[in-house]
Amino acid sequence: MATKYPWFEAAVRQSLARVGMELIDVDGFTCCPDPIYFQARDKMEWYTIAARNISLAEDLGYDIVTTCSGCTATLSEVNLALKEDETLRKEINRRLKRINREYKGSIDVRHAVTVLRDDFGIDRVEETVTRPLEGLKVAVHYGCHLLKPSRVMRVDDPDHPTILETLLRAIGAEPIHHEMTLLCCGRACITDSIPEHMLGDILDAVKSHDADCMGLICPTCFDEFDLGQIVLGRKLGKTFDVPIVYYFQLLGIAQGMGTEEVGLHMHKVKLDRVFDVVKR
Amino acid sequence: MKSQPGEKHQVAFEFREKLNAIAEGFRHNYCYQCGACVGDCPASNYSTGFNPRLILLKALLGFADELISPDSEIWNCTNCYTCSERCPQDVRPVDVIIALKNICIKEGKAPDLVRNVSDAVLVSGITTKMTTLMERRRQEFGLPPIKGYPVDDLKKLLAGD
Repeated sequence: MATKYPWFEAAVRQSLARVGMELIDVDGFTCCPDPIYFQARDKMEWYTIAARNISLAEDLGYDIVTTCSGCTATLSEVNLALKEDETLRKEINRRLKRINREYKGSIDVRHAVTVLRDDFGIDRVEETVTRPLEGLKVAVHYGCHLLKPSRVMRVDDPDHPTILETLLRAIGAEPIHHEMTLLCCGRACITDSIPEHMLGDILDAVKSHDADCMGLICPTCFDEFDLGQIVLGRKLGKTFDVPIVYYFQLLGIAQGMGTEEVGLHMHKVKLDRVFDVVKR
Repeated sequence: MKSQPGEKHQVAFEFREKLNAIAEGFRHNYCYQCGACVGDCPASNYSTGFNPRLILLKALLGFADELISPDSEIWNCTNCYTCSERCPQDVRPVDVIIALKNICIKEGKAPDLVRNVSDAVLVSGITTKMTTLMERRRQEFGLPPIKGYPVDDLKKLLAGD
């Protein structure tokens, strides 16, 4: 997010501050690293690098709050695996000793949406809204890694989640649950054919419900749907024209941030219908 | 499976031992081939070749040639973890597939993309490298500059395994 979607980061920092969450940047953090390619490369190295990152936050004594589903997946899974498995923890700590660090298992990893729901509460989120997004129909896309594996993530029911709908209602928007709400974005597949067909089905489902945009929580899904629908559209000779928004951008706008401040002008698919609602 | 009916196979236990030695790889032993992993698997529903139950069966039989290759079906796993939700045996099929991918990497039989993307973390500390354009964008959006990533620490950390 820091090097690819800085406008998401701007929306996150400002909107969470308005709710009352104080974010502290951890010096020395590296990539989490990603749960797909790096985990496929070497799971023990994946545990090791993630454990180093977690140990830096442990020094500060605060839980880690994440806003990217991939980061959440890596840090949550490694944190739980090391807490549960003493043999694994000892092996990873043997490696961490090379740089004089130790993983203790003293903190939790939490996605910001769970902190909003469970710590601040939906009422508090509602209180920060100065410009309710009334009339904005948002097709919900969960993405896989916020919810699954549920044994690790512990965010919501993986088959009947409600957290994003609840958070969208809190800012005055109308969440649209469609047939493909829970389908994967397909980014991890090595071939194009599977994700292309999935993408086509998801975008068609969103359009059939007459949604103004698709709202999501994962930057990788965003990549797949924003730029991805243009690439797929060219291939199929078709225009999908489904605007994609990251939840914290909508939260920021509902709290009074400008559409440029949250970077809506940076998106490949233009968000005219979101602009119309904001102007009203 | 390429085998013909009636054809005899010897289970390749040495491959299963190799899989057992990789993190989470031992979970393949728990699979009793019920197929609960297949119904909601998006890669299965959107292709004819991908089937998590068959991947587990090949692992149980030790069919290394079909699993350990850059062209193996395992690389089409979406990593969505739906199979792990459905599995009554706690096999966690995604984790077994990841263990198979780890073997591919060790044996130089992974797609180039996987090595290239993961190499970036070791070279620059982050998957998506910082560019001058993005530095400027961070300024435009009022964000603090990135201080740089402790690549030397990572090198030291991973040396010797």
